[in-house]
Amino acid sequence: MTHVTHPLKRALSLTALLALGGTAVAAHDMWIEPSGYRPVIGRTVGFRLRVGQDFQGDPLPRDPNLIQQFIAVDGTTTTQVVGRDGADPAGLMRVAARGLLVVGYHSKPSPVVLPATKFNTYLSEEGLDAIAALRAKKGETNAEARETFVRCAKSLLLAGPPYAAQQDRVLGLPLEFVADRNPYMVTAGQGLGVRLLYRDQPLAGALVVALNQRDPMARIAARSDKAGHVTLKLTEAGPWLIKAVHMIPAPAGSDSQWASYWASLTFELADATPQAIPSSSPGAR
Amino acid sequence: MVGVVVLLAAVAVSAHEIGTTHVAVTFPQDGTYRVEIVTDPSSLLDKLEAAAREPRSGASQVDDLRERLRRHAALIPRRVTLAFDDVRMDPAMRIDVAQSASLGGVPGATLILTGPRPSGAGTLTWSYGWTFASYALRVQTRAVGEPATQWLEGGDTSTPVSLAALPPPISRLQLALRYLALGFTHILPKGLDHVLFVLGVFLLSRRWKPILMQVSAFTIAHSITLALSIYGVVSLSPSIVEPLIALSIAYIAVENLVLSDMRPWRIGLVFAFGLLHGLGFAGALRDVGLPRSEFVTALIGFNAGVELGQLAVISAAFLAVGYWYGNRIWYRRRIVMPASACIACMGVFWTVQRLHFG
Repeated sequence: MTHVTHPLKRALSLTALLALGGTAVAAHDMWIEPSGYRPVIGRTVGFRLRVGQDFQGDPLPRDPNLIQQFIAVDGTTTTQVVGRDGADPAGLMRVAARGLLVVGYHSKPSPVVLPATKFNTYLSEEGLDAIAALRAKKGETNAEARETFVRCAKSLLLAGPPYAAQQDRVLGLPLEFVADRNPYMVTAGQGLGVRLLYRDQPLAGALVVALNQRDPMARIAARSDKAGHVTLKLTEAGPWLIKAVHMIPAPAGSDSQWASYWASLTFELADATPQAIPSSSPGAR
Repeated sequence: MVGVVVLLAAVAVSAHEIGTTHVAVTFPQDGTYRVEIVTDPSSLLDKLEAAAREPRSGASQVDDLRERLRRHAALIPRRVTLAFDDVRMDPAMRIDVAQSASLGGVPGATLILTGPRPSGAGTLTWSYGWTFASYALRVQTRAVGEPATQWLEGGDTSTPVSLAALPPPISRLQLALRYLALGFTHILPKGLDHVLFVLGVFLLSRRWKPILMQVSAFTIAHSITLALSIYGVVSLSPSIVEPLIALSIAYIAVENLVLSDMRPWRIGLVFAFGLLHGLGFAGALRDVGLPRSEFVTALIGFNAGVELGQLAVISAAFLAVGYWYGNRIWYRRRIVMPASACIACMGVFWTVQRLHFG
């Protein structure tokens, strides 16, 4: 082994190391990770915002300049989710009522400029083939891209026992998943249907990906149909993340060329075997 | 406010939202580098467990997080690169997890990477791939002033940071001399309380032997507690140490008023007081800061400086009064008694002051 290394060789080996050092994909997901998916009534639950990939996320502290809307809806009321600026969890709430708690976070648009290769990789990863085709048609495939992105994260929590009557609801996020039925009535191995809405209209042809936190590399993917609908066979128990990205050409007069919307839906699938529906109704207790 | 402005400015240029990770690179004067990564321990552990193909533990308690992170520490260098002039370093790494006040009381992980800085290194390049959010890299590129800041995506490589304005590392001898000077100035002119104590020791007797024995006992004692305290073996709150130091000054002076020569217990007392003063010196040395890699050099240098300061006080006192008037019949009455009385008053005053206003 020699102690003298040619500078070029050194630089090349460093470049290789740097390339290996990062395994990040071109663009990252954002979701809500509650401190617990099954909160206890009367206790405070934290809504942690996470940005990352493969359902492994980093904390996003509460940034008042980024929040367009941060709400939680239980059976009867809509609550503004409060929190301390700069803190993680970004949102805190005392769980007041039993039932399905629907939490939504909608960010203000953030601008970003991405180099061509990174942008093209991201288009391919997120199934945004139409945009890739549009860029090719305009001869922009090798040009950097100016984009604004909006996060539309949603999470379903359950306080108390599950009932079939507990339904997800439309919060009105720009891009939003709405579960067909209460996911806390679904057990591992069953299918869960979700609709993807863009500005309250069904979004067809979007790549919808579902990841389980216990085995995030085993991802389930499907394209939404004309009704914006997909059925995902959720193979395992534990926390799930369902995600999709929608992109459109930015409106005229904008500094950006593209506007993207990042929808996510998180919830937890029960470990147990199918639960019997209790005979009493929620109101009876 | 500045932080908020910086954050806002960064939103416009970063591809992702800003997370909670911070990286700071500093260059201690002993010629080493030090990288401090502050990050969220749970999300770091999630990624390490995934990289190790282990199930996600979901650990959330401080001790559990620390133990698990340390167990996976060998994986961390995979996604961390620190290079000087494009030569990759192989730093030593320490990991700790503690409740973080800056994160609102939730656990925070700190990763410290250290190693020798290559002499004449012109640029630094950095990448950190254990976060998916944007983070700030701050590099101390000058001896004083604001660090150079870059906003990076997790996994991205920084642009090379120029280190041309950094002062060159200093040699061990220079470092020892620097801490010697710090020790000396801690006595003269900054340590009036220590000066009065040493004068009290000097005034007891006009003979060399008692002075030498007391100074030796004092030196041995304060060297012991200074070292033990710096190494964290003993610790005593300054709110206790500082009034006791003041009280020791008063005591020595009062004894000078009632006794005219050394009694056997005096050496023991001076030794005990030396232990106290050593704890005080340790507090001062900690305030100055000790370089990790040259810990012993700095400790010995500082202690020697303190010693020289004390000898300077005694020499000055001898040259000013002891040499000229030490043999006069009125030496004790006109010099020792009034001076000791003044020192005793000062000692009592400081004791009260430090007890109530310390």
